[in-house]
Amino acid sequence: MSDVDAGEKPPVFSRWRSWYWLVMLVMAAQVILYLFITQSYS
Amino acid sequence: MNSVDWIVLFGTLLLIVSYGAWKTRGSQSMQSYLLGNNSLPWWSVGLSIMATQASAVTFLSTTGQAYEDGMRFLQFYFGLPLAMVILSITAVPLYHKLKVYTAYEYLETRFDRKTRTLAAFYFLMLRGLSVGITIYAPSLILSTILGWSINLTTVLIGTMVLMYTVSGGSKAVSITQKYQLTIIMAGMVTAGLIAFSKLPEGITFGQTFAYAGEVGKLNLINLSFNLSDRYNIWSGLIGGLFLFLSYFGADQSQVGRYLGGSSVAESRLGLLFNGLLKIPMQFIILYIGILIFVFYQFNQAPLLHNQALLNKAMTTDAAPRIAELSAQYDHVFQERKAKANELVAAIQQNDRDKIEQSKGDIKAIQKAESDLRTETKAAISSAIPGANTLDKDYVFINFVMTYLPHGLVGLLLAVVFSAAMSSTASELNALASTSAVDIYKRSIRPNENEAHYVKASRWLTVMWAIFGILFASLANQAENLIQYVNIVGSIFYGTILGIFLCAFYLRYLQSTAVFIAAIVGEAIIVYLYYYTDVAFLLYNIIGCIAVIALAFIIQVIFNQIRSEKSGA
Repeated sequence: MSDVDAGEKPPVFSRWRSWYWLVMLVMAAQVILYLFITQSYS
Repeated sequence: MNSVDWIVLFGTLLLIVSYGAWKTRGSQSMQSYLLGNNSLPWWSVGLSIMATQASAVTFLSTTGQAYEDGMRFLQFYFGLPLAMVILSITAVPLYHKLKVYTAYEYLETRFDRKTRTLAAFYFLMLRGLSVGITIYAPSLILSTILGWSINLTTVLIGTMVLMYTVSGGSKAVSITQKYQLTIIMAGMVTAGLIAFSKLPEGITFGQTFAYAGEVGKLNLINLSFNLSDRYNIWSGLIGGLFLFLSYFGADQSQVGRYLGGSSVAESRLGLLFNGLLKIPMQFIILYIGILIFVFYQFNQAPLLHNQALLNKAMTTDAAPRIAELSAQYDHVFQERKAKANELVAAIQQNDRDKIEQSKGDIKAIQKAESDLRTETKAAISSAIPGANTLDKDYVFINFVMTYLPHGLVGLLLAVVFSAAMSSTASELNALASTSAVDIYKRSIRPNENEAHYVKASRWLTVMWAIFGILFASLANQAENLIQYVNIVGSIFYGTILGIFLCAFYLRYLQSTAVFIAAIVGEAIIVYLYYYTDVAFLLYNIIGCIAVIALAFIIQVIFNQIRSEKSGA
């Protein structure tokens, strides 16, 4: 599967992979944040 | 409720319904009726996806869940961003490339007609049953709160949804969902802010956080691996991934939402938008439940949040016992309020010793409160046999009805109705699309013109709505029906996901092997349901793995037979 389909120009990022990484990084950051909150009060 | 609330409630609902019906009137082609002419921008796709997933019970239950059990429910959504990424890479470009109306159409391209029809049939079974519950569950709560008959509430929700879904189809669903989600989030946040504003003076927002943490409500992550524990990070990541892959990849009520995107890019961004925002949105909703919990540390919470049931119980022989328990409950509350003030003061002074002492005292008092509530529920159950004393879902709505100013009560009720309508609309649209495209057009009347199929889709929308309303009315007479429908969902989801995973990723497998595997896999799940104690949530994973494994075995056997024949 190509990163950018023919005829499609995704906005903001030139490559779709950047979006996928962004979603995963935000997810990881949230897990770390929530883990920190949980540990702070346990 | 006064006249201002009624005006706000019906004004909001009628405005959204009329706007949706007017804006999308006269959809003439299948493309415009079922896919909204593929004209939606990414943010509209994303909002529509989120509104479809968030039903009324989501908002009522989630806040109640946080109130009683803390925030650990958030972990349930941890598999969702990963599922969004996987589907953006695989399913979205595939569906767009093939220009399908439904997810099951793709299965005919990949396999054959019988596999497509089987998957569509499984979907109609599970979604057809759940649309009744999507209407019934909030109707039950609203009718209890408003004192209406449950049948009136179900017919009201069903009719309002029909007004725009029949005329405008998919686009009407998406357009109305934008406004419904806006009303829902605005209403929920307003309720949370009001709970915060009613706290004793001097308590900051950060201190509500610290308070909730000290009394054990910020249990966001549980790292222990325990199969019997429903909410931990592993069940969220692994179980959630499977669940969300099947829900967003193979359930037409979600696939229909992102197929309405104007391009692969817009559909993908819509899904990723959901992946980015879903967990923070759930965090906000759960935290509103926590704010109500903190509010009730300083204000007397009702002995039972289902006030109508409590009032009914007070007209029975159990009244003296309940009154006695209520007096004890009042006394315990006064003790707890004093300790809560001590804990806040200790947090403000950052005095660790006092914090530990106060929170120990509060936990002991909470245990006493919980025991009193359990005794009350037992008294009610013995006085009113069959009464549902679980009141978690009533925590939020009871708070709204008791403490919010007039006007906002109407708005918050509009939130509950809007959430019920937005999910129901997507489900009806998906049921109509699947039955029109995958069954009626493909197998019953294949050679009609576009206008005929649009008309058929409209009638099928009406038929499914009537089915949903009737089912919701019958649900009133059956116990544990919500759980029963959840079980039905789990019975079919795993098999459907198994078929789609075979189609997407396992090129080796061919149609007949997958078709047989899907039937045998489903039979295995039905056997597990009737003859074993396996937890029904596990059906999703077992069904999926059974289909894939069986399809492999059958394909190997077929290939051997074929090679033996060609060798002979």
